[in-house]
Amino acid sequence: MVAEALSTAGLAIAVVAVLLGGTYIAAVLDVVFTRLTMRIAVRPLAAAALPLRRAAQLALQRRTLTERPDAGTWALAPAVLGALAAVSLAVVPLTGTVIAVKADTGIVVFAAAMALVVVAVYLQGWSPNSPLSLVAAYRFVAEGLSYEIPFAVVLIGTALPARSLALVPIVTSQEHLWNVVRQPLGLPIYLVTVLALGFWGPLSLPEGQDVAGGTSVELSGVPRLLWRVAQLNVLVAVSAMGAAVFLGGWLGPWLPGGVWMALKTLFLLALLVASRQYFARVRTESFVVVAWTILTPLALVDVFMAGIQAMVAAR
Amino acid sequence: MVVRPLLARLAKKAPVPVFLIAGIGGDEIADRLRLDERLQVMDSPRPAMVLMIVGRLTSGLNGAALQVHDQMAEPRAVVRWSPSRLDASAAIFPHLVAAEAAAALGRAAVAARDDLLAGRLPSSPPLLPDVDPNPWRGVGPWGQGGAGMTGGVPYGRPLPERAKDRDGLQLDQLLVRVGPFMPALPEGLTLEVKLQGDVIQDVVVGENPFLEEAGSESRQEVSPALVAPADLAPFLAALRVPVAIAELELVRVRHHLRWLGHTLRIHGLTALGRRVLALSARVHLGGAGARGALATADVAELRRSLERNFTLAWVTRGIGRLSADQLAALDGGPVARAAGVERDERLADPAYLALGFEPVTRTRGDALARWRLRLHEAERSLRLAEIAGDGMTTVTGAVEGPTGPLGRGLAPSSRLLPLLPDLLTGLDWGDAVSTLLSLDLDLREAALTTPGSGAVPAWAW
Repeated sequence: MVAEALSTAGLAIAVVAVLLGGTYIAAVLDVVFTRLTMRIAVRPLAAAALPLRRAAQLALQRRTLTERPDAGTWALAPAVLGALAAVSLAVVPLTGTVIAVKADTGIVVFAAAMALVVVAVYLQGWSPNSPLSLVAAYRFVAEGLSYEIPFAVVLIGTALPARSLALVPIVTSQEHLWNVVRQPLGLPIYLVTVLALGFWGPLSLPEGQDVAGGTSVELSGVPRLLWRVAQLNVLVAVSAMGAAVFLGGWLGPWLPGGVWMALKTLFLLALLVASRQYFARVRTESFVVVAWTILTPLALVDVFMAGIQAMVAAR
Repeated sequence: MVVRPLLARLAKKAPVPVFLIAGIGGDEIADRLRLDERLQVMDSPRPAMVLMIVGRLTSGLNGAALQVHDQMAEPRAVVRWSPSRLDASAAIFPHLVAAEAAAALGRAAVAARDDLLAGRLPSSPPLLPDVDPNPWRGVGPWGQGGAGMTGGVPYGRPLPERAKDRDGLQLDQLLVRVGPFMPALPEGLTLEVKLQGDVIQDVVVGENPFLEEAGSESRQEVSPALVAPADLAPFLAALRVPVAIAELELVRVRHHLRWLGHTLRIHGLTALGRRVLALSARVHLGGAGARGALATADVAELRRSLERNFTLAWVTRGIGRLSADQLAALDGGPVARAAGVERDERLADPAYLALGFEPVTRTRGDALARWRLRLHEAERSLRLAEIAGDGMTTVTGAVEGPTGPLGRGLAPSSRLLPLLPDLLTGLDWGDAVSTLLSLDLDLREAALTTPGSGAVPAWAW
């Protein structure tokens, strides 16, 4: 009993450590990519310290209050977003044996938790009772379904070769060939949709400069810090899941499984973080049109191909 | 108690979050501050710790600056530098830190932040009364239970009107006032927009706050060059006397690059925007060939890399389209040339023709055509500056400024402003911002001439 409780506590700590560690690395990567784009020298120590310095500065700043905000839901928004990221990461196998929640339907839990991100972002936009923030929240809701459908469909595609919705069989089914190779449409579609999900870079529609920061326009101090951390938590969770379902998770030669998983997660995290340096923020309408006319049909092609491959393999 | 000093020590080397307000004579300095690594210029005043006021504010802008100040989270400080002793902002911000020179602004902001965190400088107190703008007339915390179905009129503000949207559905309309210091809009521009979701149903352009300055009685003490944006000064001089072509063209390059840097930032390419702004700072007005000066190859490389960026083309294609007919009255300028209007005052100057000058034109007339045209024009102007040597302009009275012809009636921005209501209505907010950016409006420039009169004040030209 005690051993089980300790093991559960250890796994919970592992999830939080991966989430916070990944978030810190994402923040450092963002500093590095920003300086590289600006073509100014990257000083490693300064880049490593900068996110911590900024966090300290925010921690010393008071939060602002708007006129008649919904204070309860406003405080809840970052907590909801962070919790959703934690739940999502909890079902991802970090190695063949380290998995916080061994759910038979792990991939469904992940997709369900990520589908609720829209609620957290809407709460953040709506609660301060501020027009720009509300307009930004509308935007996110408007694009919600457009990215969620291709996102869920490509995830289902990865479950077909494994004939299971649990994450461990999905990873082990890639022992001979990773899903990124046998389902070539999957990972690119997944990466686009998770950018929308994490409202980052080219798909940072609810946080654009055209709405002065949108859902975070009214945020200062600790609530702003928490919102930024929660946003990066989401990017870490989706990178870890991407590594597990498309890049063979912990599978790999010579190095321990945990190291492979960390490297693959970091690779995807770096791609996502770097995207904001090269791609301009797209228009809501254009993205919705592309999501429905290109991403969703391609995601369906991906899942049909995966189904046919799975049927052929089963014979 | 132990944690706070530790955090303060850690925070000391973080860039200072600032909200930047550029008044008259402050636009160029504001861009220099955007490149200062010690500062982080924020899009919203809320997370800013230091309000930086650069240049002279008019009385209309002072009121808005007070609002911005009170929106900032505490602890907060105000750092100001103004080229004019007439500036009223010194009186309305009782606790401001006045920088002794524009070059000392960055250092003053860092010092103000450090003093705030160490408790040596008290946080600037609220300057506007913390009272509701109108008395609460509803019943209950949300106004429910008052007169009428929805509980009267909370704070004297009408509840959202309902109107048909573009699909014929009855939806709420949100009346929002934005500006004059919203970073995505031209400085000083206020818009009253009726939004349904994020679609603009109606837009009213507010008064130009700089007009009051240009028309004020104190104008004798303020030179026109000070009211005008910094990039316009040599062009205003060229209206009266011959000016070195190289200087005009280099200022044009600098203007276009500054505009591009700002535009890229609002389109989400923050770091790239700062790189372009840094390129604009490398324009050496002393001569194109100076050491470390921006070279044609730098701009050509930038142009090629931006033209390859498919997302930038995607977000600007078809946005804010204006036809050549709509722009015929503009008499030239990049916006008109991007729609195929081949007019440029430089074509009337033999000195330019001797250098082989040909105007750049595009035909699409949208935001995409405008940024590509300005980039191409920057490259061509830099080449002109390189070959012009000591050549001077030979025609006075009218000159092609960076935004269009000067000296021919209304300033270019004054001619574009009346087009806004029709142009913006029906657009998503994001597209409206892209459109405004692409027009390169400057309300200081617009203040040089009074719209409606069609006349050019003698003091301005």
